[in-house]
Amino acid sequence: MKKLIVVLLICINIFAAPGVGDKEVDFNLPNLYNQSATFSNNDFKGKVVLLNLWASWCDGCKEEMPFFVELQKEFNKNDFLIVLSNIDSDPQNAISFLKEVDEKRVLTSLYDKDKILPKGYRSIGMPSSYLIDQDGKIIEIFVGSIDKKSMKNLKLKIKDLLGK
Amino acid sequence: MYKLISIFLALFFLVGCSDKLVRVMPYEKEYLAQEKMSLSPIAERAEQEGHIFLIREASAGGESSFQGGCGCR
Repeated sequence: MKKLIVVLLICINIFAAPGVGDKEVDFNLPNLYNQSATFSNNDFKGKVVLLNLWASWCDGCKEEMPFFVELQKEFNKNDFLIVLSNIDSDPQNAISFLKEVDEKRVLTSLYDKDKILPKGYRSIGMPSSYLIDQDGKIIEIFVGSIDKKSMKNLKLKIKDLLGK
Repeated sequence: MYKLISIFLALFFLVGCSDKLVRVMPYEKEYLAQEKMSLSPIAERAEQEGHIFLIREASAGGESSFQGGCGCR
């Protein structure tokens, strides 16, 4: 009986979605604009990262994008980085949308064709954002688009992580 | 031992029926999000149908979620 309980607990642990305090999901994904260049977790080590999973067919995702552009402009890219991970089947849809809101390519954009990140994080909504600290630990999870109120909370958390 | 294996197999098949496998996950709704997949793909027509429904039922607001459609407001 004890063995069974242990097996069950292990199974629950394996299939559980990563939550606050857990390690981020490992990835190696191409750049949205230039797919020959790839990014992995190691490229962002030592920085506070807001990982945003989005798609151009998701209205909520598009709504929050201008806020992200403003947020990235507020912080130094060496300290804090907003990483967008797009899951569109056609990356051109994402590129043409980003051209409108992020013309200067302030945001770091990845292309996740196989939906590795939403599957890894077992996202229960679109968009989903994950605030990750310098050591790759998940600090906060935002499901749904981030509005002005959540943005205030997010800014405080980022400043706290950066020690400002 | 057989008991343990049978319990494990039962659990295995039960997990196979979990809603994770049946439910369409939010990140898989690309094609469902297309306009042509909506129940009323022509917005103008849906509006007209809604208007006729309101006249027929005499229940202003009945189609929305913020009023009950009882006509008492």
